[in-house]
Amino acid sequence: MKSVARIPNKELAIFFIVTVAIFCSLSPSFRTGENFENILVGFSHMGVLAVGQAFPILLGGIDLSVGSIVALAGMVGFDGFLIFGLPGAIVIPVMLATSVVAGIFNGVLITGARLQPFVATLATMAVYRGVTYAISGRQLFPELATRSIDDDLLLGLDNYVGHFPYAFFLLLIVAGLSQLLLAATRFGRDVYAVGGNREAARLAGIPIGRTTAICYAISGFCAGLAALILVSRMTTSQENLGIGIELSAIAAAIVGGASLQGGTGNAIGPVIGAFLLGVILIGLNLVGITTYAQPVLTGLILLGAVYYDRVLLGRRRLRLGKSQ
Amino acid sequence: MRTRTTDTYETSRREVMKNLALGALVAGSSGAALTGTLASSARAAEPAPIKMAFIQFQPHTVSSAWAKGIQDVLSIQPKFGFQLLDGQAKADIQISLMDTVINDGVNVIFVQPVDSVGIGPSIKKAARKGIPVITLNIDSTAKHAAHIEMNHYFGAMEIANAMGTMIGGKGKVAILNAPPGIIIRDQRTNGFVDGMKKYHPDVQIVADQVADWDRKKAQDVLSTILTAHPDLGGVYGVNDSMALGAMDVAKSKGIKLVIFGNDGEKDALEAIEAGDLAGTQYTDVFQQGRFAAAVATVLATGGVQASAFAEQGHLLMPYVIATKETVGTIQTYQRW
Repeated sequence: MKSVARIPNKELAIFFIVTVAIFCSLSPSFRTGENFENILVGFSHMGVLAVGQAFPILLGGIDLSVGSIVALAGMVGFDGFLIFGLPGAIVIPVMLATSVVAGIFNGVLITGARLQPFVATLATMAVYRGVTYAISGRQLFPELATRSIDDDLLLGLDNYVGHFPYAFFLLLIVAGLSQLLLAATRFGRDVYAVGGNREAARLAGIPIGRTTAICYAISGFCAGLAALILVSRMTTSQENLGIGIELSAIAAAIVGGASLQGGTGNAIGPVIGAFLLGVILIGLNLVGITTYAQPVLTGLILLGAVYYDRVLLGRRRLRLGKSQ
Repeated sequence: MRTRTTDTYETSRREVMKNLALGALVAGSSGAALTGTLASSARAAEPAPIKMAFIQFQPHTVSSAWAKGIQDVLSIQPKFGFQLLDGQAKADIQISLMDTVINDGVNVIFVQPVDSVGIGPSIKKAARKGIPVITLNIDSTAKHAAHIEMNHYFGAMEIANAMGTMIGGKGKVAILNAPPGIIIRDQRTNGFVDGMKKYHPDVQIVADQVADWDRKKAQDVLSTILTAHPDLGGVYGVNDSMALGAMDVAKSKGIKLVIFGNDGEKDALEAIEAGDLAGTQYTDVFQQGRFAAAVATVLATGGVQASAFAEQGHLLMPYVIATKETVGTIQTYQRW
């Protein structure tokens, strides 16, 4: 039974299932296949962002710039498709490369220039958003703002297998690989070591700079993937795409069990956290709660989820401590 | 008639409290379920036979007034249900909400798109299910039943004309603008710039800076502009909030500026009456909402298909350039 006890985020998963069950019982429209399809397609990008965000948070850092990286990668795609008329096979790798470079730059600022992650990524959040405005094809060629992107490869992402969107499979791959990376590789152990005790990690000879840079690069890469998903759904991109999305991604990661102190968490919890946000948003709307009450309830439910998760974790630790 | 507005606010506050109570029930039952006793008594009210949803850009005085206008019309017939949703100014959230209301089986969707193209796939999805979509102020590139907007371009042209006349046909003026990426910004800015060229070619637009639709931000931005151009004669805020911010600066520095806003919200009209604001483009936003609702009720109940609007119904709202002379014509019941 040890394996059952080791299932990560068991408490969160139960909370999630119960929340879904309650909305199902309250709203006939909620308990339809189409609704679950909507939640999957509407929040897979959030899941990808939350998994990416888990890496900096595991290090005890944070990445506030992901929303701006989403916009930057999206705008690179917009320009590539609509101004230069390039095919997806070229534009998509360029979008992802842009987001990785943006992530690495965050990492360099944090390790090279020794800036606080909060400060460094707050600054790059503004910088990347500014660059997005500067390169915006919507500003340079205003008539493009009303043209949609019709690249087959990119729009192929907006397809389904039954009720399951491709974006959801992309999320599963990202979360699975990330969990593998964290749980079964040397790099993963380094991440937990640096996040758990930076000084001890340094003394143990762990390459802190490289580990940090890779974590922020992964966060940037995930932002690029999220941009791909969003652009494929919207068939366009915007300068203000992803404003405020970093906070949702951070919330999803924390609800998913990643500790802001670093060193605790995994890549599966954030996915549940992201879909919990989606279930709450769509559930509250389908139950018919007014817009003005929704943010309050969303906050309370999230607090409940985190509290429940932590209280049970605390109790289990207490029990473990006693049995030893 | 002021009481009527107060009533609306009272009602919406009561609505919020009621919903918080219902929500507490949801949260409460979720807690109860965790300990093993699922409370099944919490059930939402029976849905009305004809459901309509309005997905706003984000909560704002303008969209609240639209919602009020829509409800004015729908409340005449009890068979209509209405729900107001918050797009959170995020294109992805808005798309998700579109999918949600389509799945919920609404009969008509009102939407103020965050992005004209981005909302397109969702509008097409609604069309496949035979749900008419009516856009407010921001159009979509996808074909839909109707579009009703303020007359941004020509209104801004007339603002330029009025401002130019008030500053004597020459001098320097500044624009306090919205962030790029929103079509209204471009229409209003272009209208103002073209209007100045046409009516007052000797007036120079010396600054065009972003103040985020926001009164406080507008104060800071205008203070900076005034440092560079102390001889500024006029300011155009592309919404009333920014114009009011400019008015605050003029008042505190004790300088005379000809300030125009856009939209025509209650505070701006009062400032015009007090002589602090030169003018604004006023649109009866209640009426705009009522018109949208009238179209919606016809489409939902008149046996008319959205496709019968072979060409998309497109209405530009009439407006008044409200200045000290004309503001009195806007009745209290028209103020939002």
